[in-house]
Amino acid sequence: MIDQEMIGALLKGVNGVTWQALVMIAISFVLFYLAIVKDYEPLLLLPIGAGCMLANLPLSPLMDKHGMLTILYEAGVGNELYPLLIFIGIGALTDFGPLLENPKFVLLGAAGQFGIFLTLLLALALGFKRNEAASIGIIGAIDGPTSIYVSGILAKHMLGPITVAAYSYMSLVPIIMPPVIYALTTKEERAIRMPYSQRRISRRTRIMFPIIVTVVIGTLVPFATPLIGMLMLGNLMKESGAVERLTKASSNEIANMVTLFLGLAIGSTMVGVEFLKTQTLFILVLGLLAFGLDCAAGVCFAKLLNWLSGGKVNPIIGAAGISAFPMAARVCQRLAQRENFDNFLLMHAMGANAAGQIASVVAGGVVLALMGAG
Amino acid sequence: MENISWGLEMTVLGMGLVFSLLILLWLLLMIVLKLDKGDEPEESGQEADEQAATVEAERIAAVAGGAVGAQTPERPTVNGMPADLVAAILVAAHKHRQTMRRQAAPLARAVWPGSQLFASRWLATGRARQINDWQPRGK
Repeated sequence: MIDQEMIGALLKGVNGVTWQALVMIAISFVLFYLAIVKDYEPLLLLPIGAGCMLANLPLSPLMDKHGMLTILYEAGVGNELYPLLIFIGIGALTDFGPLLENPKFVLLGAAGQFGIFLTLLLALALGFKRNEAASIGIIGAIDGPTSIYVSGILAKHMLGPITVAAYSYMSLVPIIMPPVIYALTTKEERAIRMPYSQRRISRRTRIMFPIIVTVVIGTLVPFATPLIGMLMLGNLMKESGAVERLTKASSNEIANMVTLFLGLAIGSTMVGVEFLKTQTLFILVLGLLAFGLDCAAGVCFAKLLNWLSGGKVNPIIGAAGISAFPMAARVCQRLAQRENFDNFLLMHAMGANAAGQIASVVAGGVVLALMGAG
Repeated sequence: MENISWGLEMTVLGMGLVFSLLILLWLLLMIVLKLDKGDEPEESGQEADEQAATVEAERIAAVAGGAVGAQTPERPTVNGMPADLVAAILVAAHKHRQTMRRQAAPLARAVWPGSQLFASRWLATGRARQINDWQPRGK
């Protein structure tokens, strides 16, 4: 016999639908659209969208104590394992050669982190707690794994919006960077040519570089050791050429697998009741601001270098001091070529971009150290 | 207000630390690159020795050549050019014509495509790449 109780049990799912869940499912569709149609960071935004959708379906068993999404979250996000594994892959894919050819560009990487602290100030002014403000500021590093790592330690409850903001803005580099560069530079400055003289970098130096960076940064900022250690491990494997199989596995299979797990786990943190707050909107806006400020600070610092060097530095490359590697460098090259088709800034911009990769990790470690995390 | 002053403190300290660490890294990199460069003069010193030896050998050969030349008859010429040079130019021109003919349109070809007697540059490059399927370490 069909009684009231049975009907209630059958309609349990429909009854469990909330307006917040519906909004979040709509947001997951937006993420799918961005990933599939617009091709914005599809490797991450698609799994995040899937995780978000699955987590917001009514009474989702995936979100139970022993549900898959909960297990994935606890296995790699709760203990910061996934971002570190991704960093090995990034290290194995990054060529620090352009930075070694022009070591002075590490300064541009440092300048590119200024937005982190300016955003921290703004977040404090908007009433966020200190740990939350520091986590929001780190979006300005434009470095997904660093943002996840730092906010995972300082403000776990804000991990979802921070990750979505960090990865979305990373994919919007070609849209966000040009207006900032145009606003801060003149046509003449953008047309400055920078002669490129290739310096021979020996294999020994390339191998020594990751070891030295790990020892120096790890000793001076112990909080940055996990991030810099994994980044440089990947790079050491690549440059040594001794463990080709491990290098390939880190940059392909492991990175791909962890990206999928990370995306699903982050998506699962976007549960409607917790995500749909004014705070989330603030985080997204402040993250965008942090990105813009980072680019602006990099360009301004490059302008200063240009003035000091007597007009030899094209300020565009300052914007590449952020971490989004290598997209930021490619955008700089495109803007320089728009002014002068024969102007090739790519290798200089790659140097600044590689410096930004290291600087963002250092900045993440410094923020954690200053916050007394651990 | 207390939070803002704390934030300002963080900004100054944070950016100061980031800049100091990266300047330190820059200096270290400069030292490493300098040390790496330091090895090159050794190589170039060796190269200089080799060059000096070559110059000396050439000088001795020139003196010996002069001494031998004094005893040999004058070399034949064609229109003021050494005869052996003219012969070399003729052989080169003939070889070039043969090559051009082999690579020409099918009607004028001396060797049919696919023949084992002749490999075009395209084919030769392909074969060489297939045979030498190696990759340098660390690339």
